[in-house]
Amino acid sequence: MSRASVLRSPREALLGLGPVVAVGLPLVLAGTLLSPYGKFLGTTALVLAIVGLSLGVVTGRTGMISLCQMGFAGLGAWVMLWFATHASGAPFLLAVLVSGLAMLPVSLLVSLPALRLRGVNLAVITLAFALTVQIVLSVNDFPGNSDGVTVTRPSWLETDGSFLWACAGIFVVIAVGLAVLDRTRLGASWRAVRHSERAAAALGRSVARVKLSSFALSAFIAGIAGALLAAQLGSVEIETFVPLTSLTAFAIAIMVAAQYPEGALLAGALGVFLPELFQSWNIPQDYTNLLFAVGAIVGLKGGLGGAEAIRDGLRRLIGANERPLLLDAPDGGAIAPAAAVAADRHDDPRGPAPAKDGTAALEIRGLSVTYGSVKALDDVSLRVEPGTVTALIGPNGAGKSTLVDTVTGFIRGYSGEILVDGHAIDGLLAHQRVRAGVRRSFQQDRTIPDLTVEQYLRLALGSHRGSARMSAAELQELLDFFDCPPQHRRLSGVDVASRRLVEAAAAVAARPSVVLLDEPAAGLPAAESERLAASIAQIPARFGPAVLLIEHDMELVVAAATQAVVLDFGKVIASGSPATVLSDSVVVSAYLGDEVSV
Amino acid sequence: MIQSGVAGLVAGGAYAMLAVVVVLMFRMVRVLNFSLAAIGAFGTFTMSAVYAHDQSYLVATLAGVGAAAGVAALLGAVMALWFADARIETRSTVAIAMLIGLLMIGYRVFGDQPRNVPSLFGSHGIKISGVVVTHDAIAIVVATILVAVGLSVFLGRTRVGLRLRALSERPQTAELLGVPARWLAIAVWAAAGAITALGTQMVAPTRANAFADLSLLIIPAFAAAAIGLFRSFYLALAGGIGIGILEGIATNYSSIAPYQSVVPLVVVVLMLMWSQRQEVWDVAR
Repeated sequence: MSRASVLRSPREALLGLGPVVAVGLPLVLAGTLLSPYGKFLGTTALVLAIVGLSLGVVTGRTGMISLCQMGFAGLGAWVMLWFATHASGAPFLLAVLVSGLAMLPVSLLVSLPALRLRGVNLAVITLAFALTVQIVLSVNDFPGNSDGVTVTRPSWLETDGSFLWACAGIFVVIAVGLAVLDRTRLGASWRAVRHSERAAAALGRSVARVKLSSFALSAFIAGIAGALLAAQLGSVEIETFVPLTSLTAFAIAIMVAAQYPEGALLAGALGVFLPELFQSWNIPQDYTNLLFAVGAIVGLKGGLGGAEAIRDGLRRLIGANERPLLLDAPDGGAIAPAAAVAADRHDDPRGPAPAKDGTAALEIRGLSVTYGSVKALDDVSLRVEPGTVTALIGPNGAGKSTLVDTVTGFIRGYSGEILVDGHAIDGLLAHQRVRAGVRRSFQQDRTIPDLTVEQYLRLALGSHRGSARMSAAELQELLDFFDCPPQHRRLSGVDVASRRLVEAAAAVAARPSVVLLDEPAAGLPAAESERLAASIAQIPARFGPAVLLIEHDMELVVAAATQAVVLDFGKVIASGSPATVLSDSVVVSAYLGDEVSV
Repeated sequence: MIQSGVAGLVAGGAYAMLAVVVVLMFRMVRVLNFSLAAIGAFGTFTMSAVYAHDQSYLVATLAGVGAAAGVAALLGAVMALWFADARIETRSTVAIAMLIGLLMIGYRVFGDQPRNVPSLFGSHGIKISGVVVTHDAIAIVVATILVAVGLSVFLGRTRVGLRLRALSERPQTAELLGVPARWLAIAVWAAAGAITALGTQMVAPTRANAFADLSLLIIPAFAAAAIGLFRSFYLALAGGIGIGILEGIATNYSSIAPYQSVVPLVVVVLMLMWSQRQEVWDVAR
C-alpha cells in the first residue's frame, strides 16, 4: 500500500462509517429503548433495510431494474413457514439461511432469459414474476396458515429486544460482506456493467454472468429478509408481497441510493416510520407512496440518491472530494522515432517473446462487414507482427472503428477470419476474445467512474491466461509508464484525457497478445500526445503485446508505429512504413480529395 | 375449447392495443412506459363516473379519453423537461415511479372497488359455426388492428411521422433541424394515453376492474410487446391477441385456470430465450 493511501484511510473510514453509524445507531437505540411497539417497528425497519441491501446489489451496484424483490421475500417467508410446518426442529439460523439459498435457483430461472439482452428486459420479466408470485401464493397460501401454525423463534431470540439485535446483526453481516465483495473483482465487475456493458466485456468479463451473480445474490438477500419477517410476525399475508410493494421498495431504493448501507437503513426507516408518522398526523398512510414516487423521480433527476448525496456533501465538507486531476507538466524532451526506440527493446529483460515461427500476433484475412447495402469493410487483410506497433489510419468513415469492433467481438455476422497468435477467434464472444489475447480501448471514454485507478486495473488484469497477479510495484510501474493519476484516485475525479491513459494502461496490464488502441491521443494536448507516442512505441518491448494503433494524429503515428495500414471506404489502399505510406499519392488523395492528387 | 379461446378475445384485443402503444412509446419517445395502463385506468374511471351522471356513452368516452390524454401529457412533460437526454433505463425507471404515484392517486380519487363500466354492445354477439363471438370482441379487435395499421402508416408515410422518427433516433439533431422535440414528445404521450384509455375501457366490463387491476394490464401488454422485441406493431398485435386466447383456453382446465395470469410470464420468458441466442450490443460505440 502506498504512503498516500495510508494517509487517506482515516478520512475514507470516516466517510464510509460515519453515515452508517449516524443512521443506524438511532434506529437500533430507538428500538431498544422505546416501547415494545417501537422495538417491533425497529425490527421491521431492519428487515426492510435488508431488502434495501438486496436492491443495492442488483440496482444500485449493477444498474439492473428488478421489480420482484418483495416477491423473493415472500418466497423466503414461504420456505421459513415450510420449516415451521414440516421441520420445526431445524436450527433457526439454518432455516433462515436455507430460505435465502432457496432463492438462488428461482432467481436463475427468472433472469436467465433476460441477461444477454440489453436494457429493460429484466424489468419486464421481474414485474411479471412479481405478479406470478402473488398468484401462486394466493392460490396455494403459505404453509401452515390454514392450521394456525406459526414460526416459533428459539429461546435466545424470544424477546422482541433480542430479535431486534439479531436482525441488526444479520444486517451488519450482509453489509460487511457486500463491502468486502466491493473490493473484489466481482464487485468491480458489477459497477463496470452498470456503467457500460461494452466496457465490462472489453475488460474480459462475461456480462451475462456478472448480471446473473448480482441478481442471484440480491434474491438470496431478499429471501433472508422474507424469512426474518416471517420469524418476526409468526405468520405472513400475501398482501405484503404483491407487485406494488416490490415497486415501492424499488422506488425507495432509488430515492435513498441503497447501495450504501446507510441508504439501505434509510430505506427501511422510511418504509416503516414514515407511514407511522403520517398516521399520527391523521394523514392516510398511502400518501407515503406518492412521496416515494416523487422522491425517486427527484433522485433520478439529480443523478444522486439520498445516501449518495449525503456522502458527496460530506466529502466536500472534509475536503476529500477529488477535483479533476490535471496532467503534470511534460518534460518537453524531444521524442525518439519509433525505430530508434525499437532498437533499444532488447535491453529490457522483459522484452517480448521472440516471434514464434512467423505467426502474427493478430492476423485478419478477408474481413468483410456489410450494413444493408453499405460495405463497411471490404475484404480487409492485415497482419500485426509480434513486437511491433502497426498503425491503422484512414479518413473518417473509412471503417477503422468497425474493424476494431469486429476484431473484439462487438459486431457479429462478418465474413473472413481473425486469428490471434495463429488461433482463430471467430467463434468467440467479446469477453472470450479478451481472454484469447485481444484487448482494446474505446474511442469514447469507457472507464468505470465508480472505481479507483487501481481497482480498474485489477479488474482489467482479471482473466487473461491466469496472469491475474501483479505486485503493487509492478502496478505502480505500469501507471508511471503511462503517466496515469495516483492509483487510489477514483476515476470519476480524473480528467478525460488521463482516463484514456488509464484505459490504455489497463489494456496493456494483462499482457495480451495484441492491444487495439482506438484514438488514444484524442483530447490530449500536443505535448502530451508526443509523450504518449513514445510510450506506445515502447509497449511491445516493455510489456509484450503487439499494438494496432488507430489514430488521426499523423505525428503520433510516425513517432509510435513501425508499420502503417491505410483504410479508405472499407478497403486497404496502402501499407508499409509510415513515412512511405503517408507520401503515397493514393493515400494523400484519400485524405485531401482527388483534386490534389497527382 | 374454441369457445373459451374466443372468450379470451376481448382481453386479447385490449392487451394488443396496449402492446401496440407500448411499442409506439418505446420507439418514439424512448421509454418502456410502466405507467401506461394506469393512465388508461384513469380514463376508464373518469368515463365510468361521467356515465353515472346520466351522460351518453359517447360523451362519457370522450371525457375518459380526454382525462387520460391530459394525465399522459402531464407525465410526458415531466419526462421531456427533466429526462430528455437520459438513458432509456432511467426514463423507464421514472415511469415506474409514475406508476406508483398514479396507483396512489387513483386509489385516493376512485377508491379500491371495481366500477360499473358500461359495455358498448352488452352481451350481444354473432354465432359462427356454433361459437359465439361478442360484438365487443369484434369491436376491440377491429379497433386494435386499425390502431396498429394506422400507426405504422402514419410513421412510415407521413411527414409528421417522419419527423417523429427523426426525433426518436437523434433528438438533439432533430431539435437543431427545427423539429419541436418537446412538444412532439408530449403529443405522443397524450395520444398514447388516449388510445390506452379506449383499450382499458373496452376490456373493463369483462373482468375485475379495480384501479390497481387495470393498472396491471401493463404486464400482459409488455409480454405481447416483447414478442416483437418492442419494435414491431404487428407482432405486438398478434402477441396480445395470442396471449388473450391462451388465457381464455386456460380457463377451460380447472387445475390451471387459477394461474391464467401467469401466461404472460411464460410467454415473455420463452420469447426472450429465443431472441437471446446471440449476444446483442447497443449501437453506440
